[in-house]
Amino acid sequence: MDDQGCPRCKTTKYRNPSLKLMVNVCGHTLCENCVEMLFVRGSGNCVQCDTPLRKSNFRVQLFEDPTVDKEVEIRKKVLKIYNKRDVDFSSLRDYNDYLEQVEDIVYNLTNNIDVENTKLRMEQYQRENRDIIQKNKAKLTREQEELEELLLLEQQGNEQRRLEVLQEEKRQLQAKRKNKQALLDELEQSQLPATILLAQHKVRAAQLESEIEHQHKVVKPTNLFSTGIHMRQTVSLQAVPKIEEVLYHYKPLPVETFGPQVPELEQLGRLGYLNHVRAAMPQDTAGGYTSALACHRAVQDALSGLFLL
Amino acid sequence: MFHNSSHRKYWIFKCEEELDHMRHKANQKFRNKILESGKPGVSESMFLERHGEDVVFRHYERRMLDFCNAFKPVMPKSVVGTALMFFRRFYLNNSVMEYHPRIIMLTCAYLSCKVEEFNVSCTQFVGNLLQESPAGQERVLEQILEFELLLIQQLNFHLVVHNPYRPMEGLLIDLKTRYPTLENPESLRKSADDFLTQAAMTDAGLLFPPSQIALTAILNSALRAGLSIESYLTECLGLKGDKESLSKMYDAMRRMKTLLKKYELPKSEEVNAYKQKLERIHAELATSSNKRKRGYEEDGHVSKEPRITEEEWTDEDLM
Repeated sequence: MDDQGCPRCKTTKYRNPSLKLMVNVCGHTLCENCVEMLFVRGSGNCVQCDTPLRKSNFRVQLFEDPTVDKEVEIRKKVLKIYNKRDVDFSSLRDYNDYLEQVEDIVYNLTNNIDVENTKLRMEQYQRENRDIIQKNKAKLTREQEELEELLLLEQQGNEQRRLEVLQEEKRQLQAKRKNKQALLDELEQSQLPATILLAQHKVRAAQLESEIEHQHKVVKPTNLFSTGIHMRQTVSLQAVPKIEEVLYHYKPLPVETFGPQVPELEQLGRLGYLNHVRAAMPQDTAGGYTSALACHRAVQDALSGLFLL
Repeated sequence: MFHNSSHRKYWIFKCEEELDHMRHKANQKFRNKILESGKPGVSESMFLERHGEDVVFRHYERRMLDFCNAFKPVMPKSVVGTALMFFRRFYLNNSVMEYHPRIIMLTCAYLSCKVEEFNVSCTQFVGNLLQESPAGQERVLEQILEFELLLIQQLNFHLVVHNPYRPMEGLLIDLKTRYPTLENPESLRKSADDFLTQAAMTDAGLLFPPSQIALTAILNSALRAGLSIESYLTECLGLKGDKESLSKMYDAMRRMKTLLKKYELPKSEEVNAYKQKLERIHAELATSSNKRKRGYEEDGHVSKEPRITEEEWTDEDLM
């Protein structure tokens, strides 16, 4: 969007491609330069709505609409308090109601509806549910940690493999170079004819190549799937309990057309319908069109609903 | 396919009386709304009666048809048919006194172009209002776009209209294939086409499925040419043993023909009288569009600059 610009200094993205728009909790934008200028002392009021703001709360605007940024910010804050999960509820209905409530709060705060009351409601909720909030927070961080550990492990593995491959390549290169040097030395010193030496060299080179290839083929055994499950883990071989159910039988859906039977698409040609429609041009058929399609549609439309009443 | 469409489910009505009743209710609804609002200087005599509404409706329907026929690039028949049907459906539940047919008819045509995939840009569309200055066209365009959503809502979002034109093609193909007794089915086309054009101006589309309309058009055309193809119904359409369906079908055809015969263009003096009355009503009472627009801006949803005072352009400039 080229009309995206700072409301204060009127610079636009078009005039200054490196323009960085920032947004604060109130959802109004300012460009980076204006922020630097207006908030030298670390805090100040929003130019547009006079809300007291801190400089540290300015974020780079990620979305075209600054209210979205504002909503994201608010949502983050609200979800810190409203962090119950579906297992904390006895029924799906309750959980959905709870989610609905969260959405309400986010919406209210974003659109400045009834802000005071909403904040009071949040505080009350926070007081009432302090234990659960703490517990869920802890749980959440624990899960987060586990996940990070797994990621770290995987990263380490990747790095190691990369190093190994690099070393291997280096070794091969060296071997080739040594081989070449040996040939030159021999040509210099040996009494044998050059052709024989060359032939010998070729054989050696081929040997080296095949060796390298062989090495490539050997797959390095790993003992960890990418999901973090150990390979060769003992899996219970007991058969999964079989569930006895009646097999599904396809029944064609009855379609009431309120009219006479329409001939099938495939039979139109045999029944002679196609003699009475314009044949498809070669360029039409490229897209999958056939004259039968149009013909079928027309006949279908002609007979559909004919006996309705 | 028509048989499982919203067209069949919601827009095919039982009988003419039901349609009359709905239109009557729309008229009454508008009266009550105005009377309840307690505006000064409102009297019963100001309102249009049902007959007056009908005259105005038919007049504007005719105007819409003329507009569509003069449209450049040439509009396919199905676009015109859909536009007429939208217009008819809209005024089934609304009164001409509430929404002026002048703008609704253009909106119907515009929406129909979109629905039927007849690609014209909106500027190209209003460019067909030859009598308007470019500024005037711009104004009309804004109004069209404003009323478009209302129209769609009033149509209950049922935008697919099944026109009888394709069924007619299908019937002709079927006749050629299964009914060789008829020498030259193409000869029926001209007069059947005329029948469909006339049918589009009546309530036939609200009472009968498109295939029936098309069949009636063809049978009627054959009758005029002195050919009898009744046996097509019994032999090919499988109505031989089904006396009941057959008689129902004939009954429907009769009703359709009566509908077409009943249609007449309203007399111009009548039109002028009712139009004057309508203009007065709109000038004095129906500020609904103004109100709605202001409401919009108050909400802060729309930040367009205030429009030039509307309703400046009159009918006569339109075409």
